[in-house]
Amino acid sequence: MGSLFRSEEMALCQLFLQSEAAYACVSELGELGLAQFRDLNPDVNAFQRKFVNEVRRCDEMERKLRYLEKEIKKDEIPTMDSGELVEAPQPREMIDLEATFEKLENELREVNQNAEALKRNFLELTELKHILKKTQVFFDERENRDVDDSLTASLIEESVYGTNMMDLAAKTGGQLGFVAGVILRERIPAFERMLWRACRGNVFLRQAEIDNPLEDPTSGDSVYKSVFIIFFQGDQLKTRVKKICEGFRATLYPCPETPNDRREMAIGVMTRIEDLNTVLSQTQDHRHRVLVAAAKNIKMWFTKVRKIKAIYHTLNLFNLDVTQKCLIAECWVPVLDLEAIHLALRRGTERSGSSVPPILNRMETKEIPPTYFRLNKFTKGFQNLIDAYGVAAYREANPTPFTIITFPFLFAVMFGDLGHGMLMFLFSLWMVMNEKPLIAKKSTNEIWNIFFGGRYIILLMGVFSMYTGLIYNDVFSKSLNIFGSEWFVKDSNQAIFRRKTTMLDPKNGLTDYTYPLGMDPVWQVAENKINFLNAYKMKVSIIIGVIHMMFGVMVGLWNHQFFRRRINVICEFIPQIIFMTFLFFYLCILIFHKWVNYSAKADLKPELINEGAHCAPSVLITFINMVLFKSSEKVGECEPYMYGGQEGFQKFLVVIGLLCVPWMLCAKPYLIFKQRQLQHNKFDNVNGGSVMEEGGSAQLGAGDTAAAAPSGGHDEEESFQDICIHQGIHTIEYVLGCVSNTASYLRLWALSLAHAQLSEVLWSMVMRIGLAQSGWYGGIVLWAIFGAWATLTLGILVLMEGLSAFLHTLRLHWVEFQNKFYSGTGYSFLPFCFESMLEAAQNAEVD
Amino acid sequence: MKGCIFNIDNGYLEGLCRGFKTGILTQNDYLNLVQCETLEDLKLHLAGTDYGNFLANEPSPLSVSTIDDKLREKLVNEFMHMRNCAVEPTSTFLDFITYSYMIDNIVLLITGALHQRPLQELLPKCHPLGSFEQMEAIHIAATPAELYNAVLVDTPLAPFFQDCISEADLDEMNVELIRNTLYKAYLEAFYDFCKELGGETAEVMCEILAFEADRRALIITINSFDTELSKEDRARLFPKCGKLYPDGLAALARADDYEQVRSVAEYYAEYQQLFATTGNNPEEKTLEDRFFEYEVKLNVNAFLRQFHFGVFYAYLKLKEQECRNIVWIAECIAQRHRAKIDNYIPIL
Repeated sequence: MGSLFRSEEMALCQLFLQSEAAYACVSELGELGLAQFRDLNPDVNAFQRKFVNEVRRCDEMERKLRYLEKEIKKDEIPTMDSGELVEAPQPREMIDLEATFEKLENELREVNQNAEALKRNFLELTELKHILKKTQVFFDERENRDVDDSLTASLIEESVYGTNMMDLAAKTGGQLGFVAGVILRERIPAFERMLWRACRGNVFLRQAEIDNPLEDPTSGDSVYKSVFIIFFQGDQLKTRVKKICEGFRATLYPCPETPNDRREMAIGVMTRIEDLNTVLSQTQDHRHRVLVAAAKNIKMWFTKVRKIKAIYHTLNLFNLDVTQKCLIAECWVPVLDLEAIHLALRRGTERSGSSVPPILNRMETKEIPPTYFRLNKFTKGFQNLIDAYGVAAYREANPTPFTIITFPFLFAVMFGDLGHGMLMFLFSLWMVMNEKPLIAKKSTNEIWNIFFGGRYIILLMGVFSMYTGLIYNDVFSKSLNIFGSEWFVKDSNQAIFRRKTTMLDPKNGLTDYTYPLGMDPVWQVAENKINFLNAYKMKVSIIIGVIHMMFGVMVGLWNHQFFRRRINVICEFIPQIIFMTFLFFYLCILIFHKWVNYSAKADLKPELINEGAHCAPSVLITFINMVLFKSSEKVGECEPYMYGGQEGFQKFLVVIGLLCVPWMLCAKPYLIFKQRQLQHNKFDNVNGGSVMEEGGSAQLGAGDTAAAAPSGGHDEEESFQDICIHQGIHTIEYVLGCVSNTASYLRLWALSLAHAQLSEVLWSMVMRIGLAQSGWYGGIVLWAIFGAWATLTLGILVLMEGLSAFLHTLRLHWVEFQNKFYSGTGYSFLPFCFESMLEAAQNAEVD
Repeated sequence: MKGCIFNIDNGYLEGLCRGFKTGILTQNDYLNLVQCETLEDLKLHLAGTDYGNFLANEPSPLSVSTIDDKLREKLVNEFMHMRNCAVEPTSTFLDFITYSYMIDNIVLLITGALHQRPLQELLPKCHPLGSFEQMEAIHIAATPAELYNAVLVDTPLAPFFQDCISEADLDEMNVELIRNTLYKAYLEAFYDFCKELGGETAEVMCEILAFEADRRALIITINSFDTELSKEDRARLFPKCGKLYPDGLAALARADDYEQVRSVAEYYAEYQQLFATTGNNPEEKTLEDRFFEYEVKLNVNAFLRQFHFGVFYAYLKLKEQECRNIVWIAECIAQRHRAKIDNYIPIL
């Protein structure tokens, strides 16, 4: 746990790598993934760095691979992910890879070109086939026109126009020319309009849709087209029509005039189409073979190229020393892993066959190191919750180890229901058990990934909810009577049945024992169940909240001690903890006191009248009076105080608590002020002394130090004003925060109440209807109603309520708990690591 | 209050546009770009900017025209995305912006047809923002009247075309006249539209468009010397929505040489400065560059105000200027002609 509580100790190291060995060493470090390299040439342009050519070659290779992958995907060939580890290849292998990719790409391009030409040919023939088929219909109509002339003539304007044209043509000797072609269907209206306008209505257009979509050879999309035929008269119109056709990218085909020619042509076209089909399928087969061969290796190639590229990118961050013989790198490394780094470097040197060992120096630095936690799959989810608020400052106390327990617990307080908790637990258990296959699936569903990423959080939340559900004795809003209720009814059965309700008085309706686990099941049927639970849950929330916050303050103490900030212990921690204890923890003690010391049975004995239930003073009123310095008054014969001397003691507590406020506010700025003054005096003394002793020549030097020191001090330390303001804000935040945060923990009660009520409403409004049915059909109704109830339970109670409880828990941790000690101003450690690099590349690809 | 109403329909788009604008290359980027030795360097550097991997799938060696195409493609994609998300009246405003590209495309195609160039060669040169359905059939027209009746009547440009309907044949002179008349009508219509929109949009856009109109008037005048264009014809081409209208335009109509144009510009503080600092020496910037610089300034200023449509126009223009700059630098690098590499227009 040590490393989870405080981030790893980091060291800034300088690496001297032999030029020849640098590649292999960096590759080993990449496999290890424990070093974060710093950019040593931030001012150098991307294209002026040393290994930019290699990076560029990798880019080119990646481009070729992407092209290959695209083609593979187009043919829907499955790619194999062997999952085995691919080492970063040697630099000399790069040339081989390049040659392979080049050859593949060229081959593929050639095949594609051939295929495209063939497809174009095929498309043309298919279009011609359709033209011959469809135009036949138009010509047939013309032949038949004479027969049913009178019928069609007046039906549609267009056909009137068409027949007129043809009549005209017939009269003038049949000199009617025509062109036939194919055009994209969506362009027809504009085409028709343009024809009409440009030819002044002197042409006649007929068109018919081609039912099947055709494949566009260049893009591979399927498009819908239409066949058209245009009749016109004269050569001028012909050129014009042809120009328009060209403008609208219509393809024109020759169409013989006589039916016989057309038929012959159609037969010719059909045979040619068949021939083409065989050639086409052969080309496709060839392409398929090439792609299948490539698909086997493509993942491995991608990995290789990406690794090479990452290595050269890293090498670009390095400095070249003067002799050009070696590269200098700077990196952040966890101190504990220095040995592993050394080993990796040695392996790299051996692999490259270099004789000179690399040198690793630890450097002294004032820079703040990155924050690094060693996480496993269990702690990762929780750390993510904390990191979402802010990455811990270097070596600051990390709330994660506590959050692992408190988070599910606070959640469960709000979500307490054995049944709902069980559902949640089973779901997360399934995710945890099938972890490996589920990870391998690599889903891109964002919502699923969120759930899956937090599977251990959900698991714990489920378990804790089951526990609190047992305590609240709630299973889908019903209770379990495991041990038998400790309440009993004194009256005879008949008396009970005569009354609608029976009052159970704890004075005489309760045995001497309490129900051993959580709530007594009898409360489930009690009319004052909510009143009772409210009081109970409210108090519990306050107790949990105050303890949680005090724990936060304690973690703050650990931080102050660790960073040796004594001034903070004295001026912040001590007044803070006193303020909290004297006011709010005292409230908790009062609650416990009331629970323990007052009982209903005491009412039976006259000498214990002051400890009877009806005499118990309200904690809330007591606390308000305490803060307002009011004394409580006696009600009837009951004592207003819980113990002797309470009033005086409470006054003392409040006074001390309030005194802590100016302590928090003023002590720290004052101490810092004093300290600075002292330092200043020291400097003055030193300067004065040196001037006196060494005379004129030393004066310059002394002046320099004097000028340098205060200005240096100003750079590092904040100005005094800032300190005062910060302290003021801090104090106000803490003091007001104690009040508002305590109140904020009441959400534990509120949400728990809402959850319990909602599930009870769902039961009584839905499920009860099903259960109340009688007769054989009752079973069917129940079956249907159970479906509705189960859906609503899952959707609303488990999912939505769960989400809301989760968010409230998150808030309680981020705001109420963490603001007591956590700064979250660090930056996380991002080591150079092949694994994460490849993962990121793959994710980017999926997007 | 105005912000609330504006943001109901346009908040997303304006935010998007301002986001895009922050991706515009900085002076630092340019300093790095001019240091590039090869186009590959340029690609590498651009990959580190907002352009990202837009050239990643282009096989080496790169050519300047590929870079140009890709730059334009990216810009058009961004603009079309905004256009597709827009509702009235933003959509009309954005459409108005595209009309100028349509005019350019029409003129390009007609000129190409006059020189007997095949359509396939011309089409890739057309700006994708200005493409319209009937565009490719434009060469059936032999006279402006035909052009109008057959092709343009269905396009949004039809109202602008009314002044140039004539039965004269389309020759080069005519095409230039058509271009300028169309542009004049377009600018005036756009100006009126912005004015009608009112508010900040009117304030910002009218200033930009007024400058655009004046620039055209000045350049038309300067270019018309020693051509067969008569003074009356010339005066008819001046857009009447600029600051030069009416006195300046009248004076320009009478101008006979460059000096007279300059003396006209003397009366207008903004333009006087532009003319004062230009010359034909290699060290001095040309008038055209000065105009570009001033345009960039106006466009950058448009971003200083909020809740208006001018940002869309300004963004497109700035980005176009940036594309021109990158292409200029790329050309200089490709032709190993580094002396003039610094002649790009910085976007501040």
